[in-house]
Amino acid sequence: MRPRWRKVLHDLIDNKARTLLVVLSIAVGVFSIGVISGAYQIISNDMSVSYAANHPANVELRMANYNTDVLTSIHNAQGIGEAEGRRVNNFRVRAQGSDQWVALDVVALESFSKNQVNLLAPVSGAVEAGKDEILLEKDALKKLNATVGENLTLELSDGTLKELKLVGIVQDVSTGAGDFLAPPFAYIVMKTLPTLRQPELFNRAYVTVAEGQDDIANIREVGTALKDRLDKNGTAVSRTRFSETHKHPLADTVNAILGILLALGILIVFLSSSLIANTLSALLSQHLRHIGVIKLVGGRNKQVFAMYLTLIMAFGVLALLIAVPLGGQGAYGLALFIANKLRFNLLGYRIVPMALMIQVAVGLLVPLVAGLAPVISGSRITVLRALSGDLAGDENKPQAGKPDRLPWFDYMLVRVTRILAMRGIHIPRPFIISLRNTFRRRGRLMLTLFTLTMGGAIFIAVFNVRVTLHDYIGAIGSYFRADVTVDFDKTYRLSEVQKFGLQVDGVERVEAWQFIGTELLYPDGAVADNLNMLAPPANSKLVNPIIVAGRWIRADDVRKFAVSEAILNFFPDLKPGDSMYLKIKGRTEVWEVIGIFKFVGREGILAYTPFEYSSQVLNLTNRSSSYRFVTTQHDRATQDLMAERLDHFFRGAGFKVRQAESGLASLDTASESLDTLVVFLLIMAILTAIVGAMGLTGTMGMNVLERTREIGIMRAIGADDRAVMRTVIAEGFVIGAMSFGLAIILSIPFTYLLSTIVSLAVFETPIDVVFTYMGYAIWFGLILVLSVVASILPARNAARLTIREVLAYE
Amino acid sequence: MSSSIIELRNVSKTYSTAAGDFTALINVNMNILAGEFLGIVGKSGAGKSTLLNMINGVDQLTSGEVIVRADNENISIHTMSEDARASWRGKKMGVVYQSFQLLPMLTLIDNITLPMDLSDNYKPRESKERAMQLLQLMELEEHAYKLPAFISGGQQQRVAIARALANDPPILVADEPTGSLDSITADHIFEVFEHLITDQGKTIVMVTHDVGLVSRFSRSLTIADGELLSEAVPDTKLNQGRKK
Ligand SMILES: Nc1ncnc2c1ncn2[C@@H]1O[C@H](COP(=O)(O)OP(=O)(O)OP(=O)(O)O)[C@@H](O)[C@H]1O
Ligand SMILES: [Mg+2]
Repeated sequence: MRPRWRKVLHDLIDNKARTLLVVLSIAVGVFSIGVISGAYQIISNDMSVSYAANHPANVELRMANYNTDVLTSIHNAQGIGEAEGRRVNNFRVRAQGSDQWVALDVVALESFSKNQVNLLAPVSGAVEAGKDEILLEKDALKKLNATVGENLTLELSDGTLKELKLVGIVQDVSTGAGDFLAPPFAYIVMKTLPTLRQPELFNRAYVTVAEGQDDIANIREVGTALKDRLDKNGTAVSRTRFSETHKHPLADTVNAILGILLALGILIVFLSSSLIANTLSALLSQHLRHIGVIKLVGGRNKQVFAMYLTLIMAFGVLALLIAVPLGGQGAYGLALFIANKLRFNLLGYRIVPMALMIQVAVGLLVPLVAGLAPVISGSRITVLRALSGDLAGDENKPQAGKPDRLPWFDYMLVRVTRILAMRGIHIPRPFIISLRNTFRRRGRLMLTLFTLTMGGAIFIAVFNVRVTLHDYIGAIGSYFRADVTVDFDKTYRLSEVQKFGLQVDGVERVEAWQFIGTELLYPDGAVADNLNMLAPPANSKLVNPIIVAGRWIRADDVRKFAVSEAILNFFPDLKPGDSMYLKIKGRTEVWEVIGIFKFVGREGILAYTPFEYSSQVLNLTNRSSSYRFVTTQHDRATQDLMAERLDHFFRGAGFKVRQAESGLASLDTASESLDTLVVFLLIMAILTAIVGAMGLTGTMGMNVLERTREIGIMRAIGADDRAVMRTVIAEGFVIGAMSFGLAIILSIPFTYLLSTIVSLAVFETPIDVVFTYMGYAIWFGLILVLSVVASILPARNAARLTIREVLAYE
Repeated sequence: MSSSIIELRNVSKTYSTAAGDFTALINVNMNILAGEFLGIVGKSGAGKSTLLNMINGVDQLTSGEVIVRADNENISIHTMSEDARASWRGKKMGVVYQSFQLLPMLTLIDNITLPMDLSDNYKPRESKERAMQLLQLMELEEHAYKLPAFISGGQQQRVAIARALANDPPILVADEPTGSLDSITADHIFEVFEHLITDQGKTIVMVTHDVGLVSRFSRSLTIADGELLSEAVPDTKLNQGRKK
């Protein structure tokens, strides 16, 4: 090998700690970019492919009971491709040997073999259920501990128990996709319905359009026309849901979240490049003498440039060797995790060429960009300066043309210590030395502080975002403040439910709520969306709305409603006082909007109208099928217990109970998925913190190396190992503490930014930011530990230096 | 031993520092003849190193001219860029310093091969053979694959000389090459220099503060406070011939 390349090779392998530091800092950036871009590519492709592969319905209709004749007419309607009728009922289901009831949506199909829409994919066991047999969707296994071959017990609404044989597990990625809160599914054949005392009639229709399956406007048009026809012909349609074939209903949310992660990944690359710039400029200044020698014996600028360029490219290549395989694995892992959460399939492990290219580009460009300036200035340095060891850029060395005076910081330090000393406060000498060292190389200090501060600010912000999200969920929970909700299969008088309910130990209050399923219409009569209208008593304390505009419902409101912000997606200029067309029980009515409130946008449009008025609409005075119970205690366990107790009690008293649910049960699912998001954010924050810590280690290492002579002199005048280590660790500590101060400030804008992006992605509305001391406390502890740990290695190296080595260093 | 190989005309060098300008060389005129062993003697701070750095192109003069006539080329090195000077120096002028300036991570043979690698004057195989011959010349062949840190100072200086000879330059300039060596080791270095002049026809310019070494040069000049004082062996005829 030619000697100049041999020198490059030695530069690479002789200082392993430095090489490792540079390689790892590049690798962290490449890895995070690789994971996120890879996962993004895999998900954006597989999510829609896997969704489309199961022939998802473009229109889902919830309808009154109907028969095959009606299904045929749906089939023959204008613009319809496939149409499939099903019956969906909710049952409580129990596995063998368990007393845990789980609510399942049991879907009855006419024929498994003729299944055309919302296809079922086999997982294990049979793919078809015969009479009195049942298939489970694989997600149901998360709640129901059942094995193929055993009998499942279903509880009918009259309380009788029926057993169906579990013959297989299937996967259904279409039904309920896009609904975080949908219950798990089970599948039976229509012939089994009599066993469950249900009519052999459909109540759902899953329909694809013949053309324009990815054109939501077309789907809406065809679907609305179909619905109107059905309504006109006497089959009431209570709800419609439209979706494109090649777009998973949650695609936008997932993309938004990946976008946030990508932004953080880019930030990590940015931070790690500042770290690399730091290390490389230190490397170059340590190599000045070498450069001088090379030029002395005839080396030209471009030859020196090529040598050091090769060195930094080698760092990049080494980093790629580590980060590319890990990044590929990580990308698939992340994609798999998201796919499992959102119930879709991946097409199998693969390397994403685009992500690979991005990684290679980042891995080579980052060291190039970060190292170009020091390498260029290093290769241009004159022999004389290089050989005289005049460190380029040492700010505090007297330089030609600059007046010879104490640097401002040293001056301040002398003044402050003197003032303190006059008041009897003596700062220990080593600490002052550390402080001076800290500020000696201002450029390097700035870069280190920047990296650590960014890491800290993101870390703190993630904790704030977490609390903000939970606070919002809590606020959403204020729309569902009842401890237990009991739904019956038929309506009961309020006084009757009250009389029984209050007999149950722990029940404090009972409220009757009603529900009106309506549709929001455009002025031309087309359906904009479903509008779920809840009707609590106007003075109910079980709703605590966050009003954005207008007011809340009053008992004397007639044809008036308060509506969630989600309505603004359809009517952006809507104000309280405006009138809206609603389709209620097949009739088109004009209602007035009295107020707009905040609510999770994803869950569709929610509206409230007073019970006092809804009972007129529904013609149900003081009757309802849905009751809210307030219990004496409001913790989760009590609520669960009370739900169980009320369920039992009412069944025992002969009521037809559909289900009794504890209050916040549904919110758990929502905050669970938010926690997943927070975990990702936290991982990114930890990665930034790692980059910051590596930056600090590097800086401390360089500082110690450059002060070898000074440390030697300290030792010569009697400083022991511990004294030497103390000054170095104190220096790391000072940097850590300073970055903490800065991170506190920077975390505020970061919190706002991150909260806004996340809440827009998940809730489709900006939310109020909440701060928590948690992130600050944890980061404070972490930065202390990190800064000490980051200084220990350099400090030990410093303490190990013998006087002989120090003198040999020059 | 007749023609002038290096000529300095009115060379001045002024350093500007924070304390003000300092003129380290004042109007230096001199001719260095091919094949001579020229000693430049002076006290510390006299300007010896400064003068040498004007000749080898390591530093840029403030005014005047430095012309080198090596291998039938007339080169005004003061007009060249720093980069061009480096590449020229690599081929035409070997440089030896008091502190040996070897690259610590390279073996002796690699240190010697480096200038040939950079100048591309020799093929890799040739350059290795040549480096080995130079090591033999310096009687260091058994240490060829050691690192500089594992040999003595005198040996390191001989390696530095071997490196200076790598591209077979006609001129060698040395700044206090024996400065950090004991007298026996220093003697050895002088023997090497004398051999290079008599057997290989090199021209050597050497700087020292040690007046006791004057007898070893074929000619010596004294410098004090940046001015050339005397020529021990004046050669007025040749100087006149040059100034026409
Ligand atoms: N880079 C510089 N900037 C300012 N002044 C300089 C610089 N280099 C040398 N000098 C000054 O120029 C004068 C001559 O320096 P030079 O190094 O040539 O002396 P020298 O004769 O080689 O001395 P020594 O025997 O100690 O090596 C000295 O006074 C020195 O202080
Ligand atoms: Mg000198």
